[in-house]
Amino acid sequence: MSEYLGKVGAIIWKDILSELRTKDIVTSVLVFTVLVLVIFSFAFEPESEVIRLLSGGILWVAFTFAGMLGLSRSMAAETDKGSLQGLLLCPVDRDVIFMGKMAASLLFMLLVEAAAMPIFLILFNLPVFLPSLALVALMATIGFAAIGTIFATIAANTKAREIMLPILFIPVAVPVIIAAVKATGVIISGEPLSTARSWLLIIAAFDAIFLVLSAFLFEFAVEE
Amino acid sequence: MKNKNTPWTGVAILIAFVLMAVALYGALVFSPEEKQLGNTIRILYVHVPSAWIALVAFGIVSLCSVLFLWKRNLKWDTLARSSAEVGLVFTSLALISGSIWARSFWGWWWTWDPRLTSTLILWLIYLAYLMVRSYATEESRGARYAAVVAIIGFVDVPIIYLTTRLWNLAHPPPTVARGALDPIFVWVLMVSLAAFTLLYIILLTRTVEQKNLRREIDQLRQSLK
Amino acid sequence: MENLGYLFAIYTIVWAVLFGYVWVLLLRQKQLRRELESLKEALRAKK
Repeated sequence: MSEYLGKVGAIIWKDILSELRTKDIVTSVLVFTVLVLVIFSFAFEPESEVIRLLSGGILWVAFTFAGMLGLSRSMAAETDKGSLQGLLLCPVDRDVIFMGKMAASLLFMLLVEAAAMPIFLILFNLPVFLPSLALVALMATIGFAAIGTIFATIAANTKAREIMLPILFIPVAVPVIIAAVKATGVIISGEPLSTARSWLLIIAAFDAIFLVLSAFLFEFAVEE
Repeated sequence: MKNKNTPWTGVAILIAFVLMAVALYGALVFSPEEKQLGNTIRILYVHVPSAWIALVAFGIVSLCSVLFLWKRNLKWDTLARSSAEVGLVFTSLALISGSIWARSFWGWWWTWDPRLTSTLILWLIYLAYLMVRSYATEESRGARYAAVVAIIGFVDVPIIYLTTRLWNLAHPPPTVARGALDPIFVWVLMVSLAAFTLLYIILLTRTVEQKNLRREIDQLRQSLK
Repeated sequence: MENLGYLFAIYTIVWAVLFGYVWVLLLRQKQLRRELESLKEALRAKK
């Protein structure tokens, strides 16, 4: 087990190092996310009550697009430089590679979300300290990363990768997006977290199912 | 190249024609108005079979995708792909007829009804399945990618259904009282279902045949070069 | 009775789509046949 984690950790570390050197993903995706949030705050009056009802949806639209952008950059970097080939030649199982890439993407997405969240809360005049929102974001992002990693791998090998990832990703991610929006709505309206229990359960089930399924299917997405 | 129009294909097409005619007569003339649904019941005679074929076709796509990834026999991939093409047509019909039914009965085109939503997502997954093939750099890669998409989609659709169910528990949707339908409606529906299923099978086998023919032609052309 | 318009619309769309689809399949079939014939012709000429 610890050997497995060590291998996964090595791949994560590789991605972190490359990110530290190129600053390719986190910065650009963060700027993108903030821009999306700003556009939405222009589109609606921030003082109105309606915005509180809509803000959950706005947040997750921004995070969904940001997540796809980050994932596609992360996988595109691997295929463009041919480093995915190198990675696949490593004497490890395919699911180790999947878990490594997944965890690295998850980490970057969470960093972006952590930075974008305060900006969101301020722009939309919401309470600035909402720890339970972090839980929802963490859980939903795991689901995003699970299906996103395998779909980004597939999309990176097609002719129209920018458009292919959303086409593959969004329909499958619908349950997570709905549940995350609903749970966020519950939290923003100040109700106790237990009201959102079934939504959190759905996200948890989605995470578990698709982590296993994607890790298993990853082999077929990268085979030559 | 032999003409593969085996006798049973002709028979099947004939039976399908007759069944379709009977179903059409049953739906538009024979079936009385339903107490609550009124004439909109007649819409359901095409809507329910389309939705049924949408599901069956996707089940076959997923099953064949699993078999393809497992056995690596191209015939499974051809079957999966053909089923997806035919399935997309019926899913579109189910969506269109469902939306118009909702408009005529509830008064609005669209509502986040669990079945409507799952069908829409199913439609998008069909689209993703077919698009990933046409954008793949090689045919063999496209087949693998599409199979992966189909399997993930197959697991996803029930989750979507559950999620939208839950959503609607929070906001009760307009519901049709689902009392027991009179046997007469069930019979007409059954004939309709049979007609659509047979039509699907015929379209599916035709499409498979065309794909095989296409491959043969391509091979011939290769050998000619 | 105002529902009959929708009813009419649905049956028109459904049958138009189904007939259109069958039509496309038939056209494709015909084209494949023609292609095959011309290929066979070319093969025979080569021999």
